[in-house]
Amino acid sequence: MNLSSWRFFVVHGFQNILRNRIMSLASVTAIMITLIVLGLILIVVANLDVMVDEVESKMEVTLFLKDGLTDQQRSMLEQDIRNWQGVYDVEFVSKHEALEKWKRELGDKGSLLDGYNGENNPLPDSFLVKIEKPEYVDEVIQKTKGLYYVEEVNYSSKVVEFVEWLARTIRIAGAGLVVILAAVAAIIIGNTVRLTVYSRRREIGIMKYIGATDWFIRWPFIIEGLMLGVIGSVIATGVVALIYKFLLDRSSYMNLKWGYLGIFQLLPLSDVILYVVKVCLVVGACVGALASCLSIRRYLKV
Amino acid sequence: MIQFKNVTKVYPNGLCALSNVSFTIANGEFVFVVGASGAGKTTLMKLLLKEIEPTSGSIIVDDIDLSSLKRKEIPYYRRKLGVVFQDFRLLLDRTAYENVAFAMEILGAPPREIRRRVPIVLNMVGLGAKAHAYPYQLSGGEQQRVAIARALVNNPSILIADEPTGNLDPATAMEIMKILSLINRRGTTVIMATHAKNIVNAMRKRVLQFRKGVLIRDEQEGGYFDEP
Repeated sequence: MNLSSWRFFVVHGFQNILRNRIMSLASVTAIMITLIVLGLILIVVANLDVMVDEVESKMEVTLFLKDGLTDQQRSMLEQDIRNWQGVYDVEFVSKHEALEKWKRELGDKGSLLDGYNGENNPLPDSFLVKIEKPEYVDEVIQKTKGLYYVEEVNYSSKVVEFVEWLARTIRIAGAGLVVILAAVAAIIIGNTVRLTVYSRRREIGIMKYIGATDWFIRWPFIIEGLMLGVIGSVIATGVVALIYKFLLDRSSYMNLKWGYLGIFQLLPLSDVILYVVKVCLVVGACVGALASCLSIRRYLKV
Repeated sequence: MIQFKNVTKVYPNGLCALSNVSFTIANGEFVFVVGASGAGKTTLMKLLLKEIEPTSGSIIVDDIDLSSLKRKEIPYYRRKLGVVFQDFRLLLDRTAYENVAFAMEILGAPPREIRRRVPIVLNMVGLGAKAHAYPYQLSGGEQQRVAIARALVNNPSILIADEPTGNLDPATAMEIMKILSLINRRGTTVIMATHAKNIVNAMRKRVLQFRKGVLIRDEQEGGYFDEP
């Protein structure tokens, strides 16, 4: 196939799209919806993955201490914990500091806690035990259970497990949803190509008499499907970018209003969009080309 | 050269369209294939284009045994042939020029070659002035000339015409015949299926007459005999 042949294929592929405007629009819409869902899932999972990393890197176990420990008892306990495997820092947080921190988190509503100052402070003293790797967490927790002075243990591995579970669930459910949507889009694209084959049957007949090869007759239809997929994916990534930008704006607005959202900050658009564009383009083009190939096999008797 | 050797074609429904037909057509001949409807003319054309396979016998065109052609090779074989139909089969959304250019495009001809060759062929069939008219702006005779130009543009060695004058009035039909004999004089083999008695009688060319799938007459400079 030389250059003028390829030009012929592309020109005819586009003509096919324009000739069947309604069906082309339906195809582009179907592939677009599929890829918007795919794009959003990709972004959500990317964010959750980063969230898991972040939470894991902040492995901390908080040991709430019984009231009335002497300074000596406390420093012995601290020394003891520091020697455990996997522990890289132990920080003492007095009940006074804990209250101040809580007030700061409440921002301008911090004055609500004013009545709990001094003797009335209900919060316990605590150790914030920082752990190198998540796999040491269980071991540390087991050891703390045996300590007489420790009232209660609080740790974040539940959070990590939940976020990991969430990311996994969204991945699996999302993959299922995307596969179903992609199949629907493929069927619609296949039908569009079938209609084009039908409306071009006269031309196809003439091409055969003149001596066009089978592949020469097929290519414009494959390109038609491919272009429908690519157009759909370009629009889809645009829509995904807009939705995500809106969410980012909302989240930074909420950050301004309420101080902070939690432990997590959404990834910037520039970090995720290139990845989404790549995946959507490849998926869109493949679904489109594949759908028209299958349709041609069934309906284009060359 | 075209050779039919004991060619029989029986369709799946049991209809015997050609029965033990043998003949040879030399390069540069002009041959009429005549007979009533259902005599086997169209089957013969389809066999030549390798649209259908003979039930038995062999067909050899320019030393190629058509039964040995692989599916992939058929398009390349068809490039040796130009085809013209009774109903013209033009693309209605394209001008005369574009219809002819289309035949070159699908063989991957470079644009410069297309721009050079198409006007020459259109002039040859006398349509140079109407190159940019659409089929609906052209008379039947003019449309058939576009179809002939399209069949010729890739320089086939054989021109197959299936009732090319069937939809045309006698005067227009004669004009088309003039073009076909002009093409024939330039060395192209022309095989024309027809049942236009006046044309066959006027041209005095070789005639192959069929009746119910049997070749009943092969005559040089023959006329059109009505069947008894």
